[in-house]
Amino acid sequence: MNFQLTLALRYLNGRKLRALLTTLAIVFGVLVVFGMNTIIPAMMRSFQANVLAASGQVDATITLKTGDVFPVAELARVASVQGVRATTGLLDRTVNLQPNYFDHDLAALDSVSALSVVGLNPNEVRNVHSYNIIAGRFLEENDTNAAVISQSLADSIGLNLGSTLTLPTAIGEQSLKIVGILPARAVPGNEEVFVTLSQTQNMFGMPDKINTIEANYDSLDETRRAEIQSSIQSTLGSEYQIGALTSNSELLTSLQLGQAMFNVLGVMGLLMGGFIIFNTFRTVVAERRRDIGMLRALGASRKSIFYIILSEGLMQGIMGTALGMVVGYGFSVLVLKLMGPAMQKFLNVRMGMPEVSLPIVLVSVGLGVGITLLAGLIPAMSASRVTPLEALRPAVGKLNFRRLAGLGFWMGAAMIALAVSTLLTRDAGLIGMGGMLFIIGLILVAPALVSPIAALFGGLASLIFARQGTVHLAQGNLSRQPARAAVTASATMIGLAILVTAASIITSASVGFERVLRKSLGSDYLLIPPSVAVWGTNVGSNPDFARELRALDGVAVVSSLRFAPAQVNDLPISLMGIDPDTYGQVSGLTFAEGDEVAAYAALKTPHSIIISPVLATSIGAKVGDEVSMLTPNGVKAYNVIAIGGDYLNAKIATGYVSQADIAADFGRTEDVLLQLNLTPTTDRAAAESAIKAVVSRYPQYRLISGQGYIDENMQLFDVAFAAMYAVLIFLAVPSLIAMLNTLVIGVIERTREIGMLRAVGATRKQVRTMIVAEAIILAAIGTAFGLLAGLFLGYTTVETLHLSGFPMEYAFPASGVLVTIAAGLLFGILAAIIPARQAARQDVVQALHYE
Amino acid sequence: MSVISTENLTKIYNSGTTAVTALDHVNFQVQPEEFVAVMGPSGCGKSTLLHLIGGLDHPTEGQVHINGNLLTDLDDDSLTELRRRQIGFIFQFYNLIPVLSAVENAALPLLLDGMKPIEAHDRAIEWLSRFDLADRLQNRPDQLSGGQQQRVAIARALVAEPSLILADEPTGNLDTRASDEIAGLLRQVTKEWGRTVVMVTHDPRIAAYADRILFLKDGRIVDDTLLETKDGSSYDAVTAKLKEIGD
Repeated sequence: MNFQLTLALRYLNGRKLRALLTTLAIVFGVLVVFGMNTIIPAMMRSFQANVLAASGQVDATITLKTGDVFPVAELARVASVQGVRATTGLLDRTVNLQPNYFDHDLAALDSVSALSVVGLNPNEVRNVHSYNIIAGRFLEENDTNAAVISQSLADSIGLNLGSTLTLPTAIGEQSLKIVGILPARAVPGNEEVFVTLSQTQNMFGMPDKINTIEANYDSLDETRRAEIQSSIQSTLGSEYQIGALTSNSELLTSLQLGQAMFNVLGVMGLLMGGFIIFNTFRTVVAERRRDIGMLRALGASRKSIFYIILSEGLMQGIMGTALGMVVGYGFSVLVLKLMGPAMQKFLNVRMGMPEVSLPIVLVSVGLGVGITLLAGLIPAMSASRVTPLEALRPAVGKLNFRRLAGLGFWMGAAMIALAVSTLLTRDAGLIGMGGMLFIIGLILVAPALVSPIAALFGGLASLIFARQGTVHLAQGNLSRQPARAAVTASATMIGLAILVTAASIITSASVGFERVLRKSLGSDYLLIPPSVAVWGTNVGSNPDFARELRALDGVAVVSSLRFAPAQVNDLPISLMGIDPDTYGQVSGLTFAEGDEVAAYAALKTPHSIIISPVLATSIGAKVGDEVSMLTPNGVKAYNVIAIGGDYLNAKIATGYVSQADIAADFGRTEDVLLQLNLTPTTDRAAAESAIKAVVSRYPQYRLISGQGYIDENMQLFDVAFAAMYAVLIFLAVPSLIAMLNTLVIGVIERTREIGMLRAVGATRKQVRTMIVAEAIILAAIGTAFGLLAGLFLGYTTVETLHLSGFPMEYAFPASGVLVTIAAGLLFGILAAIIPARQAARQDVVQALHYE
Repeated sequence: MSVISTENLTKIYNSGTTAVTALDHVNFQVQPEEFVAVMGPSGCGKSTLLHLIGGLDHPTEGQVHINGNLLTDLDDDSLTELRRRQIGFIFQFYNLIPVLSAVENAALPLLLDGMKPIEAHDRAIEWLSRFDLADRLQNRPDQLSGGQQQRVAIARALVAEPSLILADEPTGNLDTRASDEIAGLLRQVTKEWGRTVVMVTHDPRIAAYADRILFLKDGRIVDDTLLETKDGSSYDAVTAKLKEIGD
């Protein structure tokens, strides 16, 4: 084994450039898998740190599972549990701030984009926490319009003891006098503003409500503490949880979705890397046929040969994986640093370092090394079957391939047929599998298709390179080695298929989402909070604000959305409260099942709910079903009256109820988003001016025209397209490596033929043209396969998403297809540069004597 | 006991609808320490004969015995072991591993047999030193002349102390001086180190170093001549014989 490793290492060292290029393919795949799986956990951890920060200071932090508010009376129930020494109730609200709320400086990024307003009972809380005031005093029970903040917050927003801090609240902008300063904040999470509980309840329209109970126990014994915790749980019931609130379904869903997408991208990258390794080793075995035959002649066993080839693959796998993880970690650090300001600004998350866990290390190593070994397996087996005689007579063995190609072709054709048939099932899971079957089937039929496709593109290439006389040789070279051409084309195919699939998804999403967007946000004006992705962190307004707007001249109708976190059939959802009478006038849900007019009318019946398609798929519910809704007042049964959704909540599980229901069952009267229409004949400028004057007192909202908001959101799709094309650069690398490998080996194998061509009068240019033409034809084959695979995968993916409830309808990605064709051909030309030069520079005499 | 013994050895190649008889019922024996040259016109079957003797190929008909072992009875692993321990090969194009040094190339058969690298290298160095390559041990093949490469190949063929050396056109790629050197070396292999050598060659000058020449034509042995002198000076006699056979 030692000798085999030595030989493998020597061969790798002898072909450094090829070894490097092949290893790069693995580096890329591992980089994506490892990198993204260290970024996203770091993001999740940072996000959760906001919530966990306070919980570490007390023995128990008690909240509703949904995170909603509950009656302050629950505090007494906890206090009555044996073993609980002290309790306090808090109303802790995150307040997202509009950009530049404090400094009004558009040039500089805000250091504070969100705050936690913590309403507390000043007497009770000091039984549970200690507050080390460094200037001024702590809050007192009868304080009004007073606040205590940290030194770090004061420094950030330029305030001192005695200054006035203004905050957007549900009852309008409030001014609070800073009566005390605490030390600078040392733990992660939003800066806190401490206000009396009664004032907080008033500011946010939540009378007699809290959302957190903190408790300390009277024992340090672990067993006793567990008993106390258990008693608290059974006293309060299963709607409560002890610990920290760990879920915010909207953000976590987005993060998990992002993680899944990048994992898929990473695995695809690794599979492409596997193809490259496979292709490289096939050509390595062809290149070293004589050496292998000689080794067998000298007495090397088949197993020895097998392990020599596999050892080379293993070394490249280990090196590529190690390098991929190092580069991946560096990539994560860079990405988190770059994303930090934006995450802080838009999602109030302070980013830390990438989070490396043992499972992700093992998975990355397993995938990187595993795929390399798998890819090298068949070439290694093929090498072990080289007979000593084949080293002396290399022209043996083509017949077997033809037989295999026949079998492979029919298997591939069957898989393609099966894949297409899954479309008829309308089952998301089966259609998804059909996509993978299609790709595998295409790879299997590829060798048989190489010749006819090469003939087609060869004819076209002849037109381009007319009078060169060598293009037909290029076509013949590929047809003579259809397996090698097919493997090379497969590597290119995967990369371009990903591109076309992504283009299909984005094009289809933009069409589908645009339709929903225009329906949802088609009002004259919108008043939107800082973060529409995470409703629970926004501060809305009490109903007075909407009434003020309605009273303005020229305003025809005002409708609002209200929010409460809830659970339906144990699944966390966003619950939106709409006004059935006015919602349809400014906006509208897009219905998958049910009639719009009838649905809004039916919503007036108590405990009726419209569920989003994503929610319907998740819980398997249909119109007419009854679902269990977890509320602060226990579990209530709601009747599903329709299935439909709006743009803002399109990706997440959402339910829509009447505002009467959300007030009765959740105590929510806070408007988190408002939409209004003007009367047709009104002076728009004057009306807008009047609206702005009212809105100025509620700085938690941004006023924007409906068309303006639609344009803003449509720009996101442009960003997505740009990002997709940037990903193309990554995908280019493995494809280029595959083509370069094949072309270089082709030149080496045809050294004598090239020497002969030059000897009979072919110019260097004609030799170069032959290689370039071969590269273009190879690229064209890969592009053709890539387009086929990408269009099918794109269709199946859009269909799968549509069946899962996303508002998508398939749209042909014309621009994506054009970019793919251009990219594929460009790859071919780029890959041909080095081998074409190599071939043209060969010394004629040496080439003729080459063995 | 003869080192090589063949009985009705026949090899027929099927190429599409055509059958080509490369060897046609060949019978001969080679005794220990004999130096036998195999000559004949192109396509006469001399290389095929060598491949069959070396277990690199399977006969269509007939038998080959090497040191009493019937080759057709052996499975692939046994044949491989035979090649490793009892037969040494020398090829026309040296077939050295380009990424290994001279000593590593020479030590290959021992390393393949599982010998410890240090011990294998020591034995390889011993043989390379005998062939005046002591100062070239770490050179790679591309840093050696053709003659030096072939000497490394001969050292490789001998390092496992096989009883039989099979050489396929060992001087085919060398100039006259180097060819004479190699031919003389092969003679030394039989006389000084007691091995049996069977060498395929088309060069009568090189064949003249052998004890005996087998002449093949159309897959059959047409002559089996013992040479009077074995130092290359029987060149004229060999050439005359070739003319007689019709090369």
